Amino acid sequence: MSIQCCPVHTTLFFLKEAIDDGRFKFPKTRRIASEIMELMEDLARGRGGPDHVPALISLTADLVANASDHESRTDAAQVQMNLVEYREVYESHAQTHTCTKGDCVKLAPAPCQMACPAGIDIPSYLTLVGQGRYAEAVDVIREDNPFPWVCGLVCTHPCEFMCVRARMDSPVAIMDLKGVAAEKAMSARQYRNPPALPDNGHKVCIIGAGPGGLTAAYYLALKGYRVTVIEALPVSGGMMMVGIPRYRLPREVIDREVGMIEALGVEFRFNTCLGKDITLSDLEQEGFEAYLLAMGAHGSYKLEIPGEDDFPQVIPAVDFLRRVSLGDHRSPGRHVAVIGGGNVAIDAARTCLRLGSQEVTILYRRTKDEMPAHHEEVVEAEEEGIGFSFLTIPKRICGQDGRVTGIICMRAELSQPDESGRQRPVPLEGSDFEITVDTVIPAIGQEVDGHGLEGFRNLTWTRRKTIQANTISMETHHKGVFAVGDAVTGPATVVEAIAGGKKAAFAIARHFENLPQPKFPTAPTRRRRMDFFQVPAALKNDLKRAQMPLLGNDRRRITFQQVRLGLDDAQTVNEARRCLRCDVCLRCGHCVEICRDKMGIEALRMGYLNFDHPSPTDLKITAERCIACGACVANCPTGAMQMKDQDGFRVLSLCGTELNRLKLEYCRTCGAVIGPARYHDYIMRRVKEISPHMFARQVCLECARKDSGRRHAENAPPEHQKQGKD
Amino acid sequence: MTFRNGQKVEIFQKSTDESWEPYMDEFIGLHGMITDPDAVKNDPDALIEVSVNEKGTHRFPQDCLRAMGDS
Repeated sequence: MSIQCCPVHTTLFFLKEAIDDGRFKFPKTRRIASEIMELMEDLARGRGGPDHVPALISLTADLVANASDHESRTDAAQVQMNLVEYREVYESHAQTHTCTKGDCVKLAPAPCQMACPAGIDIPSYLTLVGQGRYAEAVDVIREDNPFPWVCGLVCTHPCEFMCVRARMDSPVAIMDLKGVAAEKAMSARQYRNPPALPDNGHKVCIIGAGPGGLTAAYYLALKGYRVTVIEALPVSGGMMMVGIPRYRLPREVIDREVGMIEALGVEFRFNTCLGKDITLSDLEQEGFEAYLLAMGAHGSYKLEIPGEDDFPQVIPAVDFLRRVSLGDHRSPGRHVAVIGGGNVAIDAARTCLRLGSQEVTILYRRTKDEMPAHHEEVVEAEEEGIGFSFLTIPKRICGQDGRVTGIICMRAELSQPDESGRQRPVPLEGSDFEITVDTVIPAIGQEVDGHGLEGFRNLTWTRRKTIQANTISMETHHKGVFAVGDAVTGPATVVEAIAGGKKAAFAIARHFENLPQPKFPTAPTRRRRMDFFQVPAALKNDLKRAQMPLLGNDRRRITFQQVRLGLDDAQTVNEARRCLRCDVCLRCGHCVEICRDKMGIEALRMGYLNFDHPSPTDLKITAERCIACGACVANCPTGAMQMKDQDGFRVLSLCGTELNRLKLEYCRTCGAVIGPARYHDYIMRRVKEISPHMFARQVCLECARKDSGRRHAENAPPEHQKQGKD
Repeated sequence: MTFRNGQKVEIFQKSTDESWEPYMDEFIGLHGMITDPDAVKNDPDALIEVSVNEKGTHRFPQDCLRAMGDS
């Protein structure tokens, strides 16, 4: 079902046309068609509920049964066929109040919400954060993601990449605001679970207490399932706990959010490894009816160089980070080489520094520009004194008496770009050199460890050695077994695992209810419809992205204290105010076009409207040029652009941003509002040729007409009188 | 081509990779932004995360993507 236009929108349009054209000739069919149209308008405007689709089905059946002529029969059948074929889309409109095609303009989700893998209603919670309603903001976030605090600190924030504000200056600090909301709500003891449905008796077993597994546990527990989580480690959190260092994500943050999930009655069994401490048949005997595999990717790729397996001081990064996270804070060595250019390599290097290593060097075979680690992580590592050796290829780890003494490397240069544009590191013969180190930490990638899963006989694996699962329903080829997280995607992000967990929970519920699984990605849900902030255009235009205060460098180098210290209250409010509310403004550009092309004023300069070719934006220019004619408001399909007269002024605003405020003038004859002087002047300039005596007179149209009539009556006698005289 | 964070890309063709799913056909010709490149070792075979303009965030094989110039 690949569709170009929204079926709700097209059917609504079709039906309206049929009624207007009188194609339903009989009163009864016309009434039913009107009722159907009314319900469809509800769906298209976000007013739909669970009863709408069944009511539509029943009404269309009525329409078909009562259509007695060929024309109305054809139209009724068309409506019914559309409803049957796209029932899923209609239901999605009713349930999520979202139209992913964007044709139902009131329901188009904001780009940030679309970009969030978990589908969080970002504009709504940003508005709540800006109003200081932190607990409500957390409630909104947790409808789609049970880890707002974790994601407020370590999310890769795809939302910010798609933030429309980035086309204007820099994206709204969405992740940081989420972190503020969660911290404030938790501190105020207002971080709460929604009520769960009653126990339904079904038992689900989740293998792995990482973000994917825990998210599924949360949503399944809310739906009344009995959930047990089996975890090989002694702690919950998975890679959040043992893969992300504490200076980025404090343990307390994970513990508190996992505690909220545990409070829903989810049972945890730690130090329990499937296939070793417990078998699949043991679990079957316990009565589990569905399984979710969420064991992550905790295995490490090997360097495949001599010496790698000969010394205990060669420690894979994932093992090293796990060891430290579980409490072993001994320094790994005085001189450490970390091999790799990704985020894990940076985490391992910064952790070594905090454990007291004298010198930590990252060896990377390409240049800094090609480093796959996130830029800010690299910058922070440099600030802390991590050394980098680029264009360096490890060749052999050498040692003596069972201890590492150094690593032999080769210099490299980048090749010419190949057909795909990729430059490869080419070792330079004879460029061998030795770096004196006592510890080597390879960080060149992770893989899924499939041990213990042999019991799931129909499970299949991809060529990337990950579990093969449908990425929409998270079903595997083994009936009743689902899989999420890094075990499916390979090493990926926390928020992707969370999104997978949510999808899996809903798919598991469908599995128990014997409902078919979805075939297309689920649309994100609009959770709230928040009023706008009232912000002057100058402020909205000039507010710069809040800069996150960081822990002092000296302390960063010696402790695991959180580096990012959080935004203060003023920063939080101002940052929330930077949001352009793209959940309401669709960026269709009608306002800009009408102002420029029809009115010839060009008072709207919003270059951010175009994704591919953004141009400069100046929200302040409107106040200089706008005449407050209201043409933009009349042509805005969503109500984002608004104009109202208040306290003697006409105010034009876009999603609450006050673009223009002009003093109103009143008719000197009758006292009626005639709009601002600029508008009046604009009109007068246009009509001066046909009504020159009106120019510069401050009267309303009604009085002008009367006045003109009087003048006409005085100066020009009626035709019959003229004829009589002649 | 090594993709980097924040780079604008086009999904210009269907991939033959096993990770390409039928619903992705709808994305061909659309533009998006890299939101999580291979953050480990610049592996051309790695699936990378792309936020497709107003169509959600998905992981794609790299052979269906091409850069749209510096962003």
